[in-house]
Amino acid sequence: MKKIGLKRAKEEEDEQKKQSVCEQVLTFNMSPAEEEEGDEDVSDSEESVYSGLEESGSDSEDEPSANQQEGRVLNEEVEQLEERVLNEEEAEQREDEYEKDSSDEEDIRNTVGNVPMDWYKDFPHIGYDLEGRRIYKPIRNKDELDQFLDKMENPEFWRTVCDQQTGSDVVLSEDQLELIKRLQRGQFGDVSFNEYQPSVEFFSREVMIHPVTNRPSDKRSFIPSLTEKDKVSKMVHAIKMGWIKPRRVEDDSRGRYYDLWTNEDSSSILNKHRMHLPAPKLRLPGHEESYNPPPEYLLTEEERALWEQQDPSDRKLPFVPTKFSSLRHVPAFSRFIHERFERCLDLYLCPRQRKLRVNVNPEDLIPKLPKPRDLLPFPTTQSLVYRGHSGLVRSISVSPSGQWLASGSDDGSVRFWEVCSARCVRTVQTGGAVKSVAWNPNPAFCLLAVALDSVVLILAPSLADGHVTSSSERLLKSQQEAEPSEGVSCNWVETKGEELNQWIRLKIGHPKVVHQVTWHSKGDYLASVMPDHSSHLQVLIHQLSRRRSQNPFSRNKGLVQNVSFHPLRPYFFVATQRSVRVYNLLKQQLTKKLQANAKWVSSMAVHPTGDHVICGSYDCRLSWFDLDLSTKPYRMLRHHKKAVRGVAYHRGYPLFASASDDGSVIVCHGTVYSDLLQNPLIVPVKVLRGHVITQDLGVLDVTFHPSQPWLFSSGADGTVRLYT
Amino acid sequence: MSQLQARFFTEDKRYVVDNVPFSIPAASQVQDLSNVINKLLEAKNASHSNLEFDFLVRGQFLRTSLSTHMETENISTVMILTGSYDKTARIWSVEGKAVMTVAGHADAVKDVSWGKRDGLSSVLLTASLDQTVLLWEWNSEKNKVKARHCCRGHTGSVDTVSVDPTGTKFCSGSWDKMLKIWSAGASDEEEEEEAADRPRKKQKTQQLGLTRTPLMTFSGHNEAVSSVLWSDNEEVCSASWDHTIRLWDAETGSMKSTLTGSKVFNCISYSPLCRRLASGSSDRHVRLWDPRTKDGSLVLLSLTSHTGWVTAVKWAPSHEHQLVSGSLDHLVKLWDTRSCKAPLYDLAAHEDKVFCLDWTETGLMLSGGADNKLYTYKYSACQTDEGA
Repeated sequence: MKKIGLKRAKEEEDEQKKQSVCEQVLTFNMSPAEEEEGDEDVSDSEESVYSGLEESGSDSEDEPSANQQEGRVLNEEVEQLEERVLNEEEAEQREDEYEKDSSDEEDIRNTVGNVPMDWYKDFPHIGYDLEGRRIYKPIRNKDELDQFLDKMENPEFWRTVCDQQTGSDVVLSEDQLELIKRLQRGQFGDVSFNEYQPSVEFFSREVMIHPVTNRPSDKRSFIPSLTEKDKVSKMVHAIKMGWIKPRRVEDDSRGRYYDLWTNEDSSSILNKHRMHLPAPKLRLPGHEESYNPPPEYLLTEEERALWEQQDPSDRKLPFVPTKFSSLRHVPAFSRFIHERFERCLDLYLCPRQRKLRVNVNPEDLIPKLPKPRDLLPFPTTQSLVYRGHSGLVRSISVSPSGQWLASGSDDGSVRFWEVCSARCVRTVQTGGAVKSVAWNPNPAFCLLAVALDSVVLILAPSLADGHVTSSSERLLKSQQEAEPSEGVSCNWVETKGEELNQWIRLKIGHPKVVHQVTWHSKGDYLASVMPDHSSHLQVLIHQLSRRRSQNPFSRNKGLVQNVSFHPLRPYFFVATQRSVRVYNLLKQQLTKKLQANAKWVSSMAVHPTGDHVICGSYDCRLSWFDLDLSTKPYRMLRHHKKAVRGVAYHRGYPLFASASDDGSVIVCHGTVYSDLLQNPLIVPVKVLRGHVITQDLGVLDVTFHPSQPWLFSSGADGTVRLYT
Repeated sequence: MSQLQARFFTEDKRYVVDNVPFSIPAASQVQDLSNVINKLLEAKNASHSNLEFDFLVRGQFLRTSLSTHMETENISTVMILTGSYDKTARIWSVEGKAVMTVAGHADAVKDVSWGKRDGLSSVLLTASLDQTVLLWEWNSEKNKVKARHCCRGHTGSVDTVSVDPTGTKFCSGSWDKMLKIWSAGASDEEEEEEAADRPRKKQKTQQLGLTRTPLMTFSGHNEAVSSVLWSDNEEVCSASWDHTIRLWDAETGSMKSTLTGSKVFNCISYSPLCRRLASGSSDRHVRLWDPRTKDGSLVLLSLTSHTGWVTAVKWAPSHEHQLVSGSLDHLVKLWDTRSCKAPLYDLAAHEDKVFCLDWTETGLMLSGGADNKLYTYKYSACQTDEGA
């Protein structure tokens, strides 16, 4: 182990030799002549080695002197020279240790210099000494065996190194070994050198009151610099002359770089953090949970019995407050597990989603509608009451001129009123509860159709001009013989005698009870409705001029409630319980089916343009259909509290109204635009009250004045009212 | 009231004069009347010597002039003409006596008007729902009424009729949106008969007279004409349900200007004193207009107190600022236009709708309504006299 370590030491030493000239000098100190010398030589050489080490960092100023000395002692023996040099060095060390501080003054036996020793490989010599004589290689024929023997026999083998320059073996002294060891440990070569000797810390963190040096500060440190001023003025001049331009700002318009977070919503990041929801807090214990609760918290006998009877989920308290005389008597908490479990359930079931409360001003939710004041005129106040009927007034109709009003009542009479004075000009007793009355909309005729029981009466009131009366007379008389109508059993009867004085001119007998009667706008055709589930015969269309009746539908789907003619085109609207069907009378086919979304349609009205339909239903709704838009209602109005009984459009003004069993009539403004893209504007403008609810029936029919923004309503209280 | 018709009666056979009405100046005193009687008796027998007579007027001695006596004793010569939905028109005295029933229309009478008064006979006009206007001549002495003319031409009910200030023409407005001008003169005169008290004798007219055709027709209204009047001799003013008041030149038949309102006009009235139009419409307000403004639609004042349609409005004939209005809310209100906030008086006599109103020359207010009653009101006494 020791040898191996020394060998390693030697190898390292070799490396050191190669690396540093100093170390080469150290090894060269040992001349081959001195190899066999004693310890004193070694000590000498050690001195020189030491001095050489010491002087390795010195200046080269002393070289000439050393050379001079060497030249002077050329002929002398090496030892003498060495001794003298050493002596001199010692003397000089004493005088000035830096005087001969040179790395070149070491004793050089071989003068070839720093050349690779391989060059002398084929020569018997290895170089030249100071006097020019060859230095011969030692007779060296040591083979591996010799080396091994040497290694085994020579106790100094481990400290023997080969001098490359002389080729001789050198046995290292103790001191040299010690030096090598110290260097290997990274220590100073000099044992006595104290690397931690005390020093004065001049530049420390402590602020001293006096300067380190006494040197006064330069004048230039406190006067303006002329050169800088010169430079600055030159730059200023250059800027003024435009020679120096401001540094161009790198514009990023070409989009070389893009902002990765441009589209990042900062609020979305914040939202993640905001979504933290604290767990629900436990309720703080109250007095009832005390071990010594006040007596009012203690349960009485009845309360306790009640508590025990109650379902655990219904109990106000999950436990019975109990009183203990002292805290020591309080037993273990029996509900602990239960309570923990409940708490866990609370935490588990607590909503982890924040419910976003929408902070909306309720005003904003109301659609922006024009003020009713801007939508004038519309009926606002009740002006006239037409009293006289003793039964509920089922139906009203205004003459096309707007001067007369006809009303049909359950008391079996049809009354004619003057609109402006509310005077009943004529009462016609028909002998049955009148279900429906309808004035002929053609102003050239003065005819009124009245539906009662299973008869439709055609009345010719002599309330108009003679010209009109005669034209309606002609219409009634035009076709005397009744044509045999195909499969429809309607008998047309002309009245005679007393009934002529009652203005009744024609009776059209129907097979079933007629509920509604309506005119075509031309005034020749008349449709009547006989609602019946089982029959295919529910609607009849009569032609007055030819006295002909026909059944337009071979099959009726559902109970027909109401029919209406299209005001302009040959279409026919049939309202059944759930839907409104639009038929083309020319092509005799179904054109459209409107879904009313209601349980039972009660009434229907067609807009004067024919493109819109409103339907009232018994489930309190009013639906507005835009025929061009959809088969679904464009708007559902649920303003009424009870069943809607009647709806009506105004012929000229953008108004429509609905009458209901709650005794009110609601007038709405409904502007229809000719632009197909613009939806109708529907604004409820007025609630008109006045009718007294009798037998749970309120307003039964509603109709508008043909030219004025006036509204007529008939009610179950036997009155007709005019609102203007 | 310059002349009065008078008959003289006496029990004394010696001083009997002919039982015929005499025209006597209203300002006559007792002495003047005595002179008249003496002159009459002298004409009969020359031996008559002048006497001082005393006169009893309705059981009262005449002590002042005739006019003042009539004023103090409430004796009036003013006759009231009413038209009714029972197809008749009636003439009433101011005291409330039905003097005459004018029957002849086939339908309800919508409007009536006095025409020219010529001595004992005067012209009546009745407009009816049967699309005609009948021109009657009423002889107050005989208390006979005779249909002179039947004015046919309208194709709707004639709702209003108005005679021009000269009494030669009248204008009618109808539901058929037309205004027609007719001649108002009765064709032949009947001889005058004696005046004084009127026997209450109902008389049916024998015939409806000759058919008369309109002189002129004004068309322009879009809706029924509700009220028409003459603002002067050449200007006709008409109110209609089409929310306009139109002024027409009666000579040329052209429309002069239009005042546009926002509601149906039921009635108008014109006051020559303040030269303003008052209109009653279906929105509870009485509005005052200046018909001279060309651009129209300038409401000077709104009188708002009624709660129903204003069906009748009338300016006071002798007062510049007073007008009376009647409404469907059963009230008649007297207004002073200088205080437009509230009416002077609410005349709450009617039990039903008020349909018509008028003033007499003496300041008596008349109102008729749907309760089949005609009320007269006297403003100065601040109390109402119930009539009919």
